[in-house]
Amino acid sequence: MSTPALKVSQLSIWFESGTDRKYAVDDISFSIDAGEATGLVGESGCGKTMTALAILGLLPASGVHVKSSGIEINGKDISSLSAAQRREILGRDIAMIFQQPGTALDPVFTLGQQISAVYRRHCGGSKEQIRQTMLGSLEAVGFSEPQEIAAAYPHQLSGGMRQLAMIAMATVCKPAVIIADEPTTSLDSSTRALILQQLERLQTLHQTAILLISHDLTIVRQSCSKVMVMYCGRLLEKTDCHSLFSHARHPYSAGLLSCIPRISDTRPSAINSIPGQVPAMADLPPGCHFAPRCPRAEPVCRQSIPPFDSENGQYVACFKPL
Amino acid sequence: MTQEKVREAETGLGRTWERLKSDHYGVGGLFVVVCFALIAICVWIGLLGQGWSEVSGNRWESASSEHWFGTNLLGQDILQRTLFGTATAFEVGLIVTVCSTILGTLMGALAGWYSHSWLDEIVLWIKGVLDSIPFYLFAAAVAFALQGNPWAMHLAMIISFWTTTARIIRGEVMRLKQREFIEAARAIGLPGFITVFRHVLPNTFHILLVQGSIVFVAAINTEVILSFLGLGIKDGVSWGLMLAESSQEVLAGHFGNFVAAGSSLFILLMGFNLLADALQDALDTRRAII
Repeated sequence: MSTPALKVSQLSIWFESGTDRKYAVDDISFSIDAGEATGLVGESGCGKTMTALAILGLLPASGVHVKSSGIEINGKDISSLSAAQRREILGRDIAMIFQQPGTALDPVFTLGQQISAVYRRHCGGSKEQIRQTMLGSLEAVGFSEPQEIAAAYPHQLSGGMRQLAMIAMATVCKPAVIIADEPTTSLDSSTRALILQQLERLQTLHQTAILLISHDLTIVRQSCSKVMVMYCGRLLEKTDCHSLFSHARHPYSAGLLSCIPRISDTRPSAINSIPGQVPAMADLPPGCHFAPRCPRAEPVCRQSIPPFDSENGQYVACFKPL
Repeated sequence: MTQEKVREAETGLGRTWERLKSDHYGVGGLFVVVCFALIAICVWIGLLGQGWSEVSGNRWESASSEHWFGTNLLGQDILQRTLFGTATAFEVGLIVTVCSTILGTLMGALAGWYSHSWLDEIVLWIKGVLDSIPFYLFAAAVAFALQGNPWAMHLAMIISFWTTTARIIRGEVMRLKQREFIEAARAIGLPGFITVFRHVLPNTFHILLVQGSIVFVAAINTEVILSFLGLGIKDGVSWGLMLAESSQEVLAGHFGNFVAAGSSLFILLMGFNLLADALQDALDTRRAII
């Protein structure tokens, strides 16, 4: 088996309050192969973005504790790098696409200047060469007039165009891994399809591994081959996309699936939701965090943490899987 | 795939100029400032005001075609002295503005970027100490400490004026560093201090431009007051020195110095304030988008 493009082992993130540890992310492990897209889904505040920032090493130095037994990109551990060494990697081997393309671009520089700056910093080259690469990366995300985009300031572009430009910026150095944090949340559905299409194209073109973070299962279904379901900082289910949609084994995953509104449902009352609320990070229930909201919960679920076991490659953390 | 249209630019120098042009008061202010600046440049290259110290007539001559504003106590031409005073005003204004803006920007950026750290504390502490000293007392102390050094006044102003710029920039940097593009800069591996210079400070440029014009006005104003008090210009002449002279003359009925220096000061500062006001509107991107 080849080395995965991104491998995260036993990543935990916690805050300390007194002697207590509040886990935001609790011992998660996963890996993504080159050219593969994996979705990470879960409700707001379940630790998705924290995971992404921890992989990049961008969490603030004070107040947050991060521990892992390794975060590897193409077999190279980046979790123990110094700040300076890490800066070499960021943008070149691993890049991030942000949720708000409007605010993730510097308003006072043209897109050409900003994309060129990334390439100059990590790959270097002559002025002409940098410009050509920059225009090439804009063309690769589907702009037919890259010169025009390169000369434009962020505010001159629509949200979708900005996000495409963000993708061009993230891919200009052809990184092995791209983390896309809710890349389409602020966009309308036709633009969303376009963005996902381009991401997918680049993924096959450069054999990039993509970690697509989203709260929207339909997006993940469209563009990912594998999917991980996260709840309160823990992975509950990890499987290929098809199995999840055809047969979700964790009650939470099944609950999420039933929440997706369908066009054919005409009655407004047909919108489902999972009863109860996401517990606050400060007082997570013991045992399985989902137990209080789970229709299948039994006493054992409230006492001990279910192991993350697999059956035919479908990992699930549940005592009573479906 | 065909691409969507790129919207027309709403910012940039061209657009700022367009908006400034439609503001009549701003254009008037700009015109006044440019006229005075041209006079100052002509003085610096030796075309105007070179006879400011020559005795060219009798004492207190009234206005004539030879001496447009008359002469002073010593028989020096007041027009020449007014022209030379323009250059003095611009020199003080420029030096103080440039130095205090650079100092204030650096200190403000440092404090804002490392906010709530010991560095921030130190900058705020220095700022607090400087702000708590009455300005004219401070200027007098600096002038006394430097024993008549001609740069004492400039120094006193720079030391007192940078704090306002620093406070504004600190707040702006603290606001900007929360923005996603700063995190994006970190995500592509840009070290912190480069991020500050490349992505944070360029975004404060519009504030610096407006703040700079305010400091410029304050510096010219303060120079006049300090010179009037005898704490200012030592070698040369300024509007403040002329006003100091006139304080004796006005009682005796000679208004030459008073009118020339007073009206010059008033017109230039008025022009500058109108320009600063118009610039502020023209550079405000929030207004631009509406």
